[in-house]
Amino acid sequence: MRKSLAKQALNADTNAPAMGRFVGQSVKRVEDQRLLTGNGTYVADVNPEEVVHASFFRSPYAHAEILSIDLAAGLALDGVIAIYTGKDIERLTNPFAPLASLANQYTPVFYGLATDRVRHVGDPIAIIIATSRCIAEDAAELIDVDYKPLATVTNHREANDPTIPAIWPKNDSNVLYEDEKIYGEIERVFARADHVFTETFSCHRVSNQPMETRGAVAEIDPDSGEITYHAATQSPHLLRWILAISTERESVVESLKYLATNRDRLKKFGAGAKAFLTEKKDDLAKNDSTASTNQIKKDPSTLAHLGRTFFNTLGSRRYPRVVAKDVGGAFGSKGAVNREDVVLLAAALDLNRSVKWIEDRSENLADGGQAREEDMTISVAAKDDGTILGFRVELVMDQGAYPAVPFNCGLFSNMIKAMLPGPYRLEAFEMKMKVVASNKGRYLQYRGPWANETWVRERMLDIVARELAISPTELRQKNMFGPEHLPGKMVTGPDLDEDMTAAATLAKAIEVADLPAFEVAQAEALTIGRHLGIGFATYHEAAPGPDNFWESVNPGSDAFLPERVDAVLGRDGSVSIKTQQLPHGQSHETTYSQLAADELGIAIKDVTLVYGDTDNTPFGLLGTGGSRGGPVGGGGVTFSSRQLRRLILDEAADLMEASVDDLDIIDGKIHVRGVPALSKTFADVARAVTSRGQAASTANAIETHVVYSNAGNGGWACSTHVCWVDVDLETGFVTIPRYVVVEDCGQMINPAIVEGQIRGGVAQGIGAVFYEKTVYDESANFQSSTFMDYLIPTAMEIPEIEIFHLETPASVEADFRGVGEGGMIGSPPAINNAVENALAHLGVRITEQHLPPTRILELAGVIEAE
Amino acid sequence: MSNPTDRSASQTPAAQAPAGQTTRRITVTVNDTTANHDIAVRQSLSDFIREDLGLTGTHLGCEHGVCGACTILLDGQAVRSCLMLAVHADETTITTIEGLAEPDGTLHPIQQAFHESHGFQCAFCAPGFVMTTMALLNSNPNPTKEQIREELSGNLCRCTGYHTILKGVETAVQLYGSGRRDASETTDTNRQDGGTANA
Ligand code: FES
Ligand code: FES
Repeated sequence: MRKSLAKQALNADTNAPAMGRFVGQSVKRVEDQRLLTGNGTYVADVNPEEVVHASFFRSPYAHAEILSIDLAAGLALDGVIAIYTGKDIERLTNPFAPLASLANQYTPVFYGLATDRVRHVGDPIAIIIATSRCIAEDAAELIDVDYKPLATVTNHREANDPTIPAIWPKNDSNVLYEDEKIYGEIERVFARADHVFTETFSCHRVSNQPMETRGAVAEIDPDSGEITYHAATQSPHLLRWILAISTERESVVESLKYLATNRDRLKKFGAGAKAFLTEKKDDLAKNDSTASTNQIKKDPSTLAHLGRTFFNTLGSRRYPRVVAKDVGGAFGSKGAVNREDVVLLAAALDLNRSVKWIEDRSENLADGGQAREEDMTISVAAKDDGTILGFRVELVMDQGAYPAVPFNCGLFSNMIKAMLPGPYRLEAFEMKMKVVASNKGRYLQYRGPWANETWVRERMLDIVARELAISPTELRQKNMFGPEHLPGKMVTGPDLDEDMTAAATLAKAIEVADLPAFEVAQAEALTIGRHLGIGFATYHEAAPGPDNFWESVNPGSDAFLPERVDAVLGRDGSVSIKTQQLPHGQSHETTYSQLAADELGIAIKDVTLVYGDTDNTPFGLLGTGGSRGGPVGGGGVTFSSRQLRRLILDEAADLMEASVDDLDIIDGKIHVRGVPALSKTFADVARAVTSRGQAASTANAIETHVVYSNAGNGGWACSTHVCWVDVDLETGFVTIPRYVVVEDCGQMINPAIVEGQIRGGVAQGIGAVFYEKTVYDESANFQSSTFMDYLIPTAMEIPEIEIFHLETPASVEADFRGVGEGGMIGSPPAINNAVENALAHLGVRITEQHLPPTRILELAGVIEAE
Repeated sequence: MSNPTDRSASQTPAAQAPAGQTTRRITVTVNDTTANHDIAVRQSLSDFIREDLGLTGTHLGCEHGVCGACTILLDGQAVRSCLMLAVHADETTITTIEGLAEPDGTLHPIQQAFHESHGFQCAFCAPGFVMTTMALLNSNPNPTKEQIREELSGNLCRCTGYHTILKGVETAVQLYGSGRRDASETTDTNRQDGGTANA
């Protein structure tokens, strides 16, 4: 069992600094000096000596067999250095083997380049290496491939059609995963209901679309063979591992020989593995071992690949150093390892020279990451008085052609399952999940990968309220966990602590919204032909959630969640914090410096955050994602800094011949309380440690670290969104005159940064509802390959977003709850509910999330539906 | 099917220009430095700025003229450098994001304004917004809120929802536009933000 470090520290520490000098303030960003002046280093800005450039040749077909590839004309072009196809990549790399497969799931085994067939438009077929990017792109035009088109799968219906052949022939069908979970006595609960309401909801495919596309530079030192892989990534350590195991082609025997002759390596690894396995015994035991058995039955090659993966993890000599400095946004997409990453590194290793790849926007739209395309049918068992008894849900997710690495729809469908009951007291819940393959781009995690559980639930609650003639807010309040029900438990298992304040956010939102006044305005507006509406949506988000959260998603998967943070006193007296987090817009350099500076009694500028270098940061597979930067990384910074403070004061106490309990640090000066004139600096302490021969390393006087998971058994960020709309039935355009977010993420480290995360998320929700759609036609041809087709909202489309913070004081320390994803979870249902509210008198029911102007006009009966 | 590891046949010296490609000499003044450059006629202005001049602060978000990340000032006008060829910049004066701050790092008032408003997150879009704001305030030192929204609507930001960027331009109007004041008068804009309230 994990202990709550926070609670421990609270009791144990007599030397905690006077808190709150920086934490809680909207401190200006430390990153800005670099980023506002054009001095950032994004991956496209990295240019090692003699670097050459890569471009990918991609399939124009959605599904086709590759009969032959003619590279002659491409290779003949001046400036082209090499072209590699799937056949070469089969020789040079290992395939992506299923690392996170579930029972009842088939996870395809595939290579970085298409080998025998292409499975979606944009599927990479060849990598061209040339002296410049434009020559590489020119050569791509000259590659000649003979294809034999195959039947395509473009939607759930086709994926479920057994007469359409499987995209992955080793699986019998295009259904990759099916599972079912029942919580409570579902049959009885539905039998007891006065009403059962059923509706099917359908969400369109959207795309993460960070402003920086994907890219990487594989830098090879031709003499030493040392590999530095510069990448736009959220998870450098994960990328490093996967690159190493994918490009190490030694046989298992060779790997074993290498290990046998390199005792150090083996000993180090053995010790690490033993510690991990002992510590995680309970978590790992929960893993369902039938997962791999089922997978291997369907595809026996999995066994060989997994074996090689295991031994390569141990024995690889090709671990690159992964480096990332500035990353231009990701929203989940750069947490996945790209097929292109492995191909690029393999090509660079084969050529023994540095190669750079920066994709263009069309490639990013085609395969940089897509998400959210799922259908859900929900039945709600309700009583006459509005008491909701239970849900039955059937989910189908469209994974696209290739599964994302390492996390894919199997896991995401289970996150939807765990969270779908939301902050409501259900007696029973049934969830049927299905993941299908189609000829589309990669489905991967996008800002709240489970978000459609909130969309479907909050949308459905409005429908139920209308059917029962109860107000939507009253229905929610009636069924929500309030203070009197807490601590409690979701029907799916996760614990809810007293700080799960969803009900408080709803109450505040109702107060702010002034519904009676709105209803008067709405009725008045209608008399002059204006359609005003209001919509609410409430959710709670595991950010990071309680100890037993992951058990309800996928038992055993929390083994990798705790995060190590190092706090270091350099020999020169400088302070640095080392994190496995990889900031890409979240302003970690500012917030982590605020936390460390407060703990250590120093200025923000005196803290350096070290990140984005696998040689120099603690190991962690998750990087930045899952709204964990504040709660897990931030908590780790607090407690590792506190530990460093203690060690500094111990040393200072000796130096000053004072009792450690009498010491304080103010503005970086250590002195006896009340005697500020006599003080020592951090440099004095570092010197003393070093001169005693006790320095931790050649660079550092003191190194300390903390492994941290959460602030106790809560970790729920809660929120209610309220959206007002004004629907113009002449044009179908919807304006948002007002948008309110009431949120409670506990104590805020930096309110301006919290608000930025929330507004950014809401903007993406507005985009998804009204503007953005990844479009494939009925033959899976890709139709949205530019920003003229895929519409990202501009400053004209995003309204003012008002934010109210509840900031409920937490019972434990460092209870910073994550806010990275919530904005996008709450906004689509709030907007959809508002539009339905505006058009309710016309009998409109909204079951599709995407509402472009034509769809609004169709729903309102102004124009004929297609 | 050819063997790509057999590179002898396909390898070409990097210096040799591909067939049909010609070069031309242009003279441009970039961030106050005037120089001649021999460039390929097909090279985009953005590639020239990033690759030949090494000014990587100008970013490429789409390379098809929609996102505005590549915005620079060309003879004082905001232009999308990904849509222009470098040859077309002959005899012009260019300002990029690197040309704004003082050599000692002191931020330009527009940069200072975005800093104060917590304008950006990943900041990949920031150079484009800063340059667009500069062009806007040079031609209209005192824009209305609606004009600001309108003028900035040609630049995409995926992180912020624009709120803090718009606030930044409003602050820049104070620091740089018509109501030019001492930067020190501006305090923490975020906590006074009208749209924000603490319950
Ligand atoms: S890169 Fe020039 S407009 Fe997008
Ligand atoms: S701050 Fe990330 S795109 Fe604008």
